[in-house]
Order: sequence, then C-alpha cells, then structure tokens
Amino acid sequence: MTPIGWRILRVIAILAIVVWSLGPILIGISTSLSTQREVNAVPSHWLPAHPGFQAYHDLLGGTSGHAGGTVTEKGTFTRSVYNSAFLAAVSTFFILIFSTMAAYAVGRLRFKFGGAVLALLVGTMIVPIFVIVISLFKVLAEPPIGPSLIDTRLGLVLVFTATLTPLATWLLYTQVREMPPEPEEAALIDGCSRLKAFVRIVVPQMSSGIAAVAAITMLSVWGEFLIPLLLTQTMNAKPVTVQITEYVGKYSTNYPILAAAGVLALIPPALLALALNKRITGMLAGSS
Amino acid sequence: MPEPRHRSGGNRAARETQILGWLFVIPSLLLVALLILVPMGHGFLQSVRSGGFLFGEKPGYVGMRNYKDVIHDPVSREAMVHTVWYVVLAVSLELVLGILVAITLHRVFRGRGFVLAVLILPWALPSVVSGVLWQRVFDPDNGLLNFVLLKLHVIGEPHVWLASGRGAIFYITIVHVWGVLPLVSLIFLAGLQSIPDEVYSASSVDGAGPVRQFTHITLPLLKPSVAIALTVGTLLAISIFDEIYVLNGTALNTRSILMQVYNTTFVQADFAHGTALAFLLAAATAIFGVLYALALRRTTV
Repeated sequence: MTPIGWRILRVIAILAIVVWSLGPILIGISTSLSTQREVNAVPSHWLPAHPGFQAYHDLLGGTSGHAGGTVTEKGTFTRSVYNSAFLAAVSTFFILIFSTMAAYAVGRLRFKFGGAVLALLVGTMIVPIFVIVISLFKVLAEPPIGPSLIDTRLGLVLVFTATLTPLATWLLYTQVREMPPEPEEAALIDGCSRLKAFVRIVVPQMSSGIAAVAAITMLSVWGEFLIPLLLTQTMNAKPVTVQITEYVGKYSTNYPILAAAGVLALIPPALLALALNKRITGMLAGSS
Repeated sequence: MPEPRHRSGGNRAARETQILGWLFVIPSLLLVALLILVPMGHGFLQSVRSGGFLFGEKPGYVGMRNYKDVIHDPVSREAMVHTVWYVVLAVSLELVLGILVAITLHRVFRGRGFVLAVLILPWALPSVVSGVLWQRVFDPDNGLLNFVLLKLHVIGEPHVWLASGRGAIFYITIVHVWGVLPLVSLIFLAGLQSIPDEVYSASSVDGAGPVRQFTHITLPLLKPSVAIALTVGTLLAISIFDEIYVLNGTALNTRSILMQVYNTTFVQADFAHGTALAFLLAAATAIFGVLYALALRRTTV
C-alpha cells in the first residue's frame, strides 16, 4: 500500500476510536433529551425532534404513578448521588492516609518484617471481592462492637477502605521506590525527626502519585456495584449505581428516564477522568 | 566522647524507625485482617458446612460435599461454560482491538491529546452505566442494532438480541469490552513506547514495509505487554457481573459464575453452596493472578 493509503487508513482508525468511545455516551445523552414516544416509535428516532428535559424532570421530581415501567420518586435519585459522592470522598480520604503511611513504611523505613507486611498487603489484592462479600454481610450485621453496619454509609466506607487500600499501597509503594531519598536524608541529618521529615518532605514528594491514586480510588468507589448491591437496602446508604438498576423495568423500560440517570451518574467520573487523564494514564500504564 | 553519643543517637533513630514503621502499617493491617481475612475464613468455613435446617439438613461439617454439588449442578456447569465464553470472547477482542488502537495512537498527530482523553472515558464510567448506555442498542423491538441491520438488509425482521443463547453472551461481552479496552490499549501503548525508534529505522533501511515491520519487530517486542493484557483481561472478564445484571438480569441464557453465586446465595438463600462456588471461582482467579505476577516480573527484570 502507498504511504497515502496508510495515512487515510490511520485517519479512519482515529475516527473509529472516537466514535466507539463517545458513541454510546452520545446515544445516552440524545435518549435522555427525547420523549418516550420518540424512542418507542418504529423505527426509533435517534435524535429528539424537540430536545427537552422532561426525563430529567421526571427522574428528579418523581413520576406520578407509572412512566412506562419505570417508577421514580422525588428526592430518591438525588439522595443516591449524594450517597455515592459521600462514599467516594470519605473512602478515598481514609485510603490515602492509610496507603501513604503504609507505602512509605514498607518502601523507605527498614523495619523488621516490612517485607512480610508488603507481601501480605499485596497478597490480599488477589482475594476477589465476591468471596468476602457474602461473609462481610454477616460480619457487618454483627460487628464486634456497636450496632449492625448493614445499610449504613459507615459500613460501606469501611469495606471500600479495606478493599482498596492494598492496591493504593502498591501503587504508591512503586512511586516511593523510584523517588530520590536525598531530600529526606538531608532533613534527617539536619536533626529533623522521621515523622516530621515524612510530613514535610516525603508527602509533598509523593503528591503526584497521591493525586493519581485519589482519582483511581474515587472512580472505583463511584463505579462499585456488587458490594453496595448486597450491603444496602434503603436510601440510607444506596449509591447511584444500585439506584440506576431500579429504573430498569421488568417488562418495559422508560428509556429517557433511565438514560437521564445514566448521564447524571457519568458526569462526575467523566469530568474527573478528563481533568486528571494524563496522571491516570501514566499510573495505569506504568504499574499495571 | 562524641563517639558514644553518636551511637546512642543512632540507636534512638533506629528504634524510632522500627516503631514508626509498625505504627504506619498497623491501620492498613487491621482493616485488611478484619474486613478481608476474617470474612474469607468465615466464608470458607461456611462452604464446608451443610446448608442447615432451611434445606432440610442437619447443620455441621460436610467436607467437600458442597463443592462436589456445585460442580455437578447443571445450572452451575452452564454458568461455567458461559464464563469461559465471556473470557475467550472478551480477551481476544481486547487483544486485537487494543493493539490496533495502540498502533493508531502511538505516533504524534494533531489532536492526539484529545483522542487519548476520549479513549479513557469508557474505562472511567461505572460498568452499570455502560450497560444503561448500550441498552437501546440491543432493544428487541427497535434498537440500533436491528435498525442498522434492517437498513442493510442483513436481517429481514427485528431480532431479539438478548434472548438468543450465544448471541446474547456476545452482545454483553461487547459492552464489557467497551469499558476494558481503554486499559488494554494503554498497556499496549506503554509497550510500544518502550520499543526504541532505532529498531524501526534500521529495518526500513533494510527495506521492510509496515506490515513486515509489524509482524517481525512490533509483535515479538510487545510479548510482555500481551502477557499483561491477557491476564488483566482474563481477571476482569472471569468475574463479569454488572453488565449482565443491567442488560439481562439473572436470566439463564447469560448467567456467569458470579451471577450464579449471587443467585444461589441471595435469591435462593443457600449460603453454603454459594460460597463453595465463589471459592471455586476465586481459585481460578488466583491462578490467573499468579500468572499475572509472573508476567509482570518477566517484564521488569
């Protein structure tokens, strides 16, 4: 093939990647702005004739009775978004504190059994969530102290922190190993305590890795489905991923409302991924 | 005089390091022990005990019986076959498409940053949302797939895509691949970046065309990335759940092992058999996890 042929092929491939990546999102947006009649028409209308926010209105304000197999209630969806944001923010906060400390300890401090601790933490990454989630239900229902943690945000925060801290520790550990030790050593020689050197020198050195890990854990918690599906029952703790599946009707679904829920649920992770995409791609490609 | 003081200072620093080391890992260790290791042990005990009175059995230790039961259970077997299909289809699509995406985006061009940003979007979205976004494509009455195929005269009348056996698995796999392909593409992109340009310039002097360069240079040098992508893809596909739940629920024709675990445990309330099947799946996952670690080690050494 001629060089021009290859160039044309490449342009087509680039366009295909963009269409493949954005296509379903655009269909979702278009559906959310359509009416159910347009969607159900044969053949279906893929672009709304008069784009409107009726589906968003129904989703957030509640449908009086049935809207083609999908029932919504005022305040329910907003509450689930709030729960998801709370879970992502609070879990990520604890994951970052614990994993930064652990990564520094096993990566820098030469303490006894440090290697064994790292092996144990990394080893638990192989434990699939689904083997523990069934028993987690029992552990959270009857915790050693306090009332049942089923259907509470605290319970979910604990579970997400436990399941994601090992991964975060591993990602930050690889960064600690690559960081030059000289700044910290200089501070120690100047009489700085180890703790002070960690807070003042090492944590700022790790900041780019911490930002990438924060983004990755927030995306993971926001997208988690199986754990909250099994450990929540009411709007007290139900996140948006679980709430969305309740808009899928058993026999027929109101596509515009479902799509509106999907679009609203994808905005936060999409913005986060776009804002931090260089850091995320660097961390994923570097350590996966 | 300064010598001993220095030594005692050194000792204090060493002790400080020991104490700080443990203080810093104790929160993580406690969390992991209480919320991962204890439930895992608890789950294993459950899998070797009988289901109890609810299932008309005496409670107690039954050894490997629950494991034998689920291996011989026709529905679980069917779920295992489905899972193999999910893994094989997903991984082969991800490898082929991932390499093509990486090659396309490897060289610098105007707008590359935009395309890379757009590329990772599907990975960032919850898989439940992916399922929602794709749902209208497979709608039995007037979905996009039927619409396009009718227009192209490939089919004569609308087809119920998610109701037919293997076909349904294929469509759900596509939704799964949509979310995983960005990750696989990035792995290959990093692999391509590690191949020095001189290798290519030397070969083009020798008169090798793009296709020859690909099969003789790129592919062999990408082997480590292929190994990583293969294991990552397998680990993600072997426990497929979210996409199936949204698109087809617990329907028998698309049920994966994890969906069968869910159904056994939480719909039929049979914890004993549910956990046994979960541990079987975990064993399979662990094997691929070890292979993953080995593949990683080979690339870094």
